[in-house]
Amino acid sequence: MRGLYRWSNKWWPGLIPLAILFVFAAWSNTVPLEAELAARAGAALKGTVLDKTRIAMDGRDVLLSASAFSEEGRLSAVSQVAATPGVRLVNDNTRLVPETKPFVWTAERDVVRVTLSGNAPLPGSKARLLDAARASLSGTEVVDRIGLARGAPPRFDTAVLLLIDQIAKLKEGKITMSDQTVTLAGMARDLGGREAIAAALKNLPEGYSVASNAVMAPPYVFQANKDPVTTTLTLSGYVPNNDVHAAVVTAAGRKFANEKIVDNLKASIGAPSGFAAAVGPALGALSRLSTGTLVVSDREVKLSGDALYDVAAAQIRETLGQSLPQGWVAKAELSVKPPASPVDSTVCQQLFNDLLSKARIRFEPTKAAIDPDSAGLLDRLIQTAQRCPGANIDIIGHTDGDGTSEADQMLSQQRAEAVAEYLTRSGLPARRFSAIGLGSSQPVADNDSEAGRAQNRRIEFLVR
Amino acid sequence: MTLLVTFHWGFHLAAFLLGFGMGWIAVVHRARPVPRYLMRWLSALALVVVGVSLARLVPGRYGYWLDLALVMFAVYLVGCAIGSWLRDRVVSRHVPQA
Repeated sequence: MRGLYRWSNKWWPGLIPLAILFVFAAWSNTVPLEAELAARAGAALKGTVLDKTRIAMDGRDVLLSASAFSEEGRLSAVSQVAATPGVRLVNDNTRLVPETKPFVWTAERDVVRVTLSGNAPLPGSKARLLDAARASLSGTEVVDRIGLARGAPPRFDTAVLLLIDQIAKLKEGKITMSDQTVTLAGMARDLGGREAIAAALKNLPEGYSVASNAVMAPPYVFQANKDPVTTTLTLSGYVPNNDVHAAVVTAAGRKFANEKIVDNLKASIGAPSGFAAAVGPALGALSRLSTGTLVVSDREVKLSGDALYDVAAAQIRETLGQSLPQGWVAKAELSVKPPASPVDSTVCQQLFNDLLSKARIRFEPTKAAIDPDSAGLLDRLIQTAQRCPGANIDIIGHTDGDGTSEADQMLSQQRAEAVAEYLTRSGLPARRFSAIGLGSSQPVADNDSEAGRAQNRRIEFLVR
Repeated sequence: MTLLVTFHWGFHLAAFLLGFGMGWIAVVHRARPVPRYLMRWLSALALVVVGVSLARLVPGRYGYWLDLALVMFAVYLVGCAIGSWLRDRVVSRHVPQA
């Protein structure tokens, strides 16, 4: 030991190369050591729920910055970093995530995107909500503006997941949850969506309540488009149920005898009261147009298109509003189709024959009152009569053989006169028309069958 | 401390070999020895520095470099001690034979 002490006073020359060695070690290894320690500290925090975590190394000392969601979590994070092998000191720059009151979460939907904002209690909760929103709103952009805060009400995730399902049912609108109170506003995407949302809100977790639900139903729209080029009537939109659906299609078939009916209607709840009573007359008005569109939106009936002549346009404007149920509004935007070129008597007769071969003028059973369903056909007969202004026309009534010959003759005469009067009301001179009733004397089919009798009940136009 | 040793093992080995060589030479070296009073002062200084290191009074990189320097110095001293001791054994074995 004494020798060791004696020799040690001659060890000093080695300190100079040792100092050089130290400088080289410090110069080359400091940064790699700091990186290694930062990785170890980061790994130690893997299981701890933190936000905005930042680890900065200064030698073997760690500057830990993070937002924790509880005091226990904050202390645990600091101690875990301090226990990391190689770490000398931890400079604690952690803090608790701020607590908010009230705890607000919102989802706002516009045409192209859904924006989620407000607060979530934990990063995992926020990720879960975003995943649910993206799954529920596939095809719609989801914008994340959710922050993190303490103070969330119990069962926050359950309530918000339910509300995310509801935002998917909105076309546009906003859902706000403030603590345990929910507010909704906007427009439902589909008919029945408002009712579906109201039903779903009953499943909110216990303690949650709906302060106001101002979600509106989309307009209940029924549309009919008459296209003279393709001779089609396209029905689209909604009807209240299958019975009304069948009734509308049947009525359209009677009023549009020449057109092919394309039925794209769907049954849905939410129809305004008086829907069926309004659609019937509205279709009748459309049948009088050359080309046109009928839009029934909630309690508003909008008719646009070309009437066949001036008086028809005026009659449609006047009668459409009167024929609708109370509380309904009619808007007619009509123009008049330019008059067709005049034709001679032979062509005129041919045009009358064409029209009456495709459809018949209908009357109320055993009466001379013209069925309103025939208004479209009568307008076309009037338009044809206008094209041959110099011709006189015999309007000849026929009946089936159901009644006595006197009764049939009288009924056919009255029906022919009713048609002549209808034509006269359009502005045509009464002297051009002669009403003739022939009863059942000239049947065109066998009166033993209903189909035959229907063919025999007819009005003919004879151009002289 | 374990990290300091494992992470810089090459430099520590070099410090040990340097110390071993210096210790080996010191037994027969005729260099001027450090005066006794200075040795005491230097020993006291070394103790103070060790205390400062253990108390973690020096922050950040300077603290790390202080720890590294002390560990390398300690390894150097161990190398010196082993080198001198072995050289002394070799020298004393040769003297009787001569």
